[in-house]
Amino acid sequence: MLNTSSRREFVVAATLLTFTLAGCSRKMTPAQARASDVPFRSLDTFAVTVLDALGETLLPGSAAAGLSHYIDHQLSGSLADSMLMIKYLGVPAPYTDFYLRGLRAADALAHAVHGKGFAGLTHEQAVGLVGKMAGGQVEGWQGPPVGLFYFVLRSDAVDVVYGTKAGFEQLGVPYMAHIEPPSRWGE
Amino acid sequence: MTASLPKDPVDVIVVGSGAAGSNMAARLAEGGKRVLILEAGPARGPGHLISSTLYARRVKWTGPPVLDEGRNPVGFVFNSAYGTGGAAMHHYAVWPRMHAEDFNMRSQHDRGLDWPLTYTDLATYYDAVQQEAGVSGDAAKEVWRPIGAPYPLPAVPVFPQGNAIARGFEKLGKTVAPLPIAVTSTDYNGRPTCLWDGWCDSGCPIGALANPLTVHLPRAASAGAVLVNDAPVTKVLTSDDGTRAVGVEVALKDGTRQTVNAKVVVLAAFAVENPRLLLASATPKHPQGLGNSSGFVGRYIMTHAAGLVYGLFSEDTRPYMGAFGGQLVNQDSYPKTTHAKSGAFGSYQWMIAQAVKPNDLLGISTTRPDLFGTALQDFMKRATRGFAGMTAVCEDLPVADNRVTLTDQRDVHGVPIARVTHTTHEESVALWKASLAEGKEVMQAAGAKEVWTGPPGSMHIMGGTVMGTGASNSVTNTYGQVHDIPNLVVAGPGLFPTSAGVNPTFTVHALAARSAEHVLTTWQKVAG
Repeated sequence: MLNTSSRREFVVAATLLTFTLAGCSRKMTPAQARASDVPFRSLDTFAVTVLDALGETLLPGSAAAGLSHYIDHQLSGSLADSMLMIKYLGVPAPYTDFYLRGLRAADALAHAVHGKGFAGLTHEQAVGLVGKMAGGQVEGWQGPPVGLFYFVLRSDAVDVVYGTKAGFEQLGVPYMAHIEPPSRWGE
Repeated sequence: MTASLPKDPVDVIVVGSGAAGSNMAARLAEGGKRVLILEAGPARGPGHLISSTLYARRVKWTGPPVLDEGRNPVGFVFNSAYGTGGAAMHHYAVWPRMHAEDFNMRSQHDRGLDWPLTYTDLATYYDAVQQEAGVSGDAAKEVWRPIGAPYPLPAVPVFPQGNAIARGFEKLGKTVAPLPIAVTSTDYNGRPTCLWDGWCDSGCPIGALANPLTVHLPRAASAGAVLVNDAPVTKVLTSDDGTRAVGVEVALKDGTRQTVNAKVVVLAAFAVENPRLLLASATPKHPQGLGNSSGFVGRYIMTHAAGLVYGLFSEDTRPYMGAFGGQLVNQDSYPKTTHAKSGAFGSYQWMIAQAVKPNDLLGISTTRPDLFGTALQDFMKRATRGFAGMTAVCEDLPVADNRVTLTDQRDVHGVPIARVTHTTHEESVALWKASLAEGKEVMQAAGAKEVWTGPPGSMHIMGGTVMGTGASNSVTNTYGQVHDIPNLVVAGPGLFPTSAGVNPTFTVHALAARSAEHVLTTWQKVAG
């Protein structure tokens, strides 16, 4: 029979995402993984650098919230366990190539327009380029559809900043969980 | 329920454990039949339904890939699920009835298709199912509602977001009524009252929302039905002469296949997997696939275009409160030619004041995808306090070329994967635009200081195995029996010849209840 525990009385089984540090598996938030400098598994150093810079432009605070570690963790696991928004958007799995090609294209755009990589742009320059990406039309863009890439990355940034209990609290939204999510990402 | 495939034949195999499958399984098992439910996805119970927009994505489809194509893709992954309970596990339980005019659109308006049955044929099944599931509403206030028994539960509460939008409808002389929703407004049959905390999309673990785990799967289990998870069906098996289904082939985890025989096979694997299986089960007697002698399998795939309208109010709307499906309904635009002057045809209803979370595809942040950086931060702070939204469920005219086909690619079990192609009919696009125009007018009348709209998202998937009067115009009869193979029964929204302007799940249940009753009362003839 179905066990319908009444109302909000479910036991919280709190586990964090599993990251591997110094050969040991540890449960931690993406923010903690970033602070602990957990090695990446799917993203290379170049991709992480661009991703952090893009993330900060899309939503300030997303880099510190562990955006890169969150995406890397999700890309490195099974599709069934993935929590990335891209699952909804008609992009065939696996998604790593989508991210890598998009990040390369964004960096190439920065070089083409400003003569330097995305991570080296001033705030105003980065905002200007992301504004073009948001418009969905960028001449010479060599990656996944630019509007889709913008939307995916923006959604990821929103997820790590606002999609958590801490993010809800930041906005003054009561979380009201029946079953608490395992991780308080963004702490 | 157990988790191993039986060696001996059963009476009925039900492929899929969602709304249609669980309903039919419960009824057939209670009718004394030995029922085996085969669910392709993993086992899920209430403990898997974590209150998180992120973890909710794990419930969605992760089965064989589906190529989602056309100008207006159906959004297969978002609109489906994988595991016990199927898509109904995370559905929002908005349960309006279809209207009488939805069933005879071809003869009345020369549009779309006619159903081979009428509203009257379904009315008593709607009544029975709403009693089982516990639908909350106020039938008297739904002035558009076709004849039927009153709801068993009182109306859902209205929160500030609902009150704000209702003000706009009322100022324009339009009507709102409590949204009919299969969520408990009071304790019901051992189920607790909803807390109105808006976690429906993640799946309701407390039993307030009538998903398969809460209503029909427990009934099926009590009557002896067996549910086996991680049991993808790769083929429906038919007799040598092709006139009967004899069972199914199931892929096992070790890479081998097992045959399970049955007297009746029910396909309840949703609107894309059902036609995929029929097409992939071709034999020399059915070279184009089962039930496909006239080429209708896979055709007339439909999805509702979502008319998304938003407003920002000065007052605190508490938009996170309520059910994910909404608080109020308006069906003033249900008559098919209401917006004919705009080149539109079809019906729509408003689902008003849906509970929202900050993130996710239907979250506050996604309503303004153009904003980023500090503008996004500022918007999120303002919208959390004053946001309001409503969604028009816009009818999608059936188009034969909107269809499921098989591709050359194969899944891990060697079955061809499906391509779903969908481009919205121009009169349905015009209907969607008309809904946005009306919605903006409502929000402005309500006093919203900012009003904006969203793109035409895809809600629900219907068609692909449509019912009709014969093999020359459809795949099944009114009971879902495949014309050429009467002991092969299709269940689910794939049977719909038209999409109507309301959410499909209540009608899925009514059809399933009617089909199960027919199978039981004609068992000797059906089962052979």
